[in-house]
Amino acid sequence: MLDVEGFVNESLESIKAQVSGKAIIACSGGVDSMVSAALVSKAVGDRLLAIYVDSGLMRKGETEEVRGMLQEMGINFKVVDAAEEFFSALKGVTDPEAKRKAIGERFIRVFEREARSFGADTLVQGTIAPDWIESGDGVRDTIKSHHNVGGLPKDMEMSLCEPLRDLYKDEVRQVARFLGVRSSERQPFPGPALAVRCLGEVTPENVAIVREACYIVEDEIGKAAASGGMELPWQYFAVLLPSRSVGVQGDRRAYGRTVVIRAVCSVDGMTATYAPIPTAILDRISSRITNTMKSQVNRVVYDITNKPPATIEWE
Amino acid sequence: MKVYIVDNGGQWTHREWRVLRYLGVDTRIVKNTTPFDEISDVDGLVLSGGSPNVASDADAMGNNGEYLDRADFPVFGICAGMQFLCEHFGGTLGESAVPEFGHVDLRISDHGDIFKGIPDGICVWASHNDEVKEVPEGFVVTASSSSCPVEAVRSADRPIYGVQFHPEVEHTEFGPQMFRNFLKIIDDWQK
Repeated sequence: MLDVEGFVNESLESIKAQVSGKAIIACSGGVDSMVSAALVSKAVGDRLLAIYVDSGLMRKGETEEVRGMLQEMGINFKVVDAAEEFFSALKGVTDPEAKRKAIGERFIRVFEREARSFGADTLVQGTIAPDWIESGDGVRDTIKSHHNVGGLPKDMEMSLCEPLRDLYKDEVRQVARFLGVRSSERQPFPGPALAVRCLGEVTPENVAIVREACYIVEDEIGKAAASGGMELPWQYFAVLLPSRSVGVQGDRRAYGRTVVIRAVCSVDGMTATYAPIPTAILDRISSRITNTMKSQVNRVVYDITNKPPATIEWE
Repeated sequence: MKVYIVDNGGQWTHREWRVLRYLGVDTRIVKNTTPFDEISDVDGLVLSGGSPNVASDADAMGNNGEYLDRADFPVFGICAGMQFLCEHFGGTLGESAVPEFGHVDLRISDHGDIFKGIPDGICVWASHNDEVKEVPEGFVVTASSSSCPVEAVRSADRPIYGVQFHPEVEHTEFGPQMFRNFLKIIDDWQK
């Protein structure tokens, strides 16, 4: 077991030693960045500014939800609308690694601008162990470049502070509960956000489709779990595929997109089994997606692959 | 007790560190290019897995050979770590006819050391493209699966152990028990 109190005390000491001036924290509202924000704000107080970037790639209602959480935490924060900048960096990009690198770089450029205007020389990130492990290094293969590690440009102007580098998600949640951070039970959501759930080019139109599909999957599985119909998986979402297939809607030919239902059970994100979703619930998700999104989606499939050999997200 | 982990570039090297830390061991991850003399005061060593093709990419395995030759303490090789130690002592490696990713049904044939107190049939998780084809002289097979005949080995005359699967990941049953057994082996070795 992780010695949570010991970890918190040690990390407060090392943050105090590391952050002598002002710092900004990249804050998505997920448990990793919110715990990092709570720790650093305990250590350096008002010298910390949290930056939430609305990349245009976030889930339905997410920006408002995170704004509320940051307000509740009582730390300095700023919401930056950078959607246009992100979509223009992603124009024509289809390779998953190129996407992740483009997004990582955009984030850093936004943070550099914000750091300059706040006078910060340190960037705090909620990087956890799987982020740097999967990003690869001298000896490790790059499985995927996590935006906060593999996406960092070489000419970055700030020094990095990453208090959670040696923890996994289950351990971060323990620290979150200890510190009373509200997002402790939020499901993981990748830094590159809906861009890596949208295979092929990331356009505002494609993101709108996968955003709605993700919302339906989250909503139906959330309701099913709340009423005892299934256990809440570790992570559950939709992926939009670039291929099209033939369908029939009200006696008319359809030629639409495919949505994947992905749900996994895991503890640390390093191994995972696909989550068994009862067929009645799969049915509900499938019908709701294809009925309410009929002009975009006419097929829904269910991903039954573990990690390894797959990863949890598709890109 | 001090047990270091030699990093051969595995996705789960840091998980080995986590399991040992949870067991209260003084542990560190070290590069596989670390000179033996810098780590010779450990009580035991874990050789991690990694992406190298052990048979053809010997350079990527750094000083693992020297550690095995000079260790006067128990050594536990995992995945590529086990493949390397088998080849080092004269065994042969090759591509798996059927690779294993994820769930594997393990059949344990020898409960003397690493598998002490663990049932005959358990579920473990693996992730490998290659496997041990011939076990070196002086080594015995301690577990197998339907697609991989050499899932675990031990030396008959030195405290050297290997597993092809990954006892450090969450989905492997009795994984922490296998590490506890390794620590017990170290303890007994020192008596």
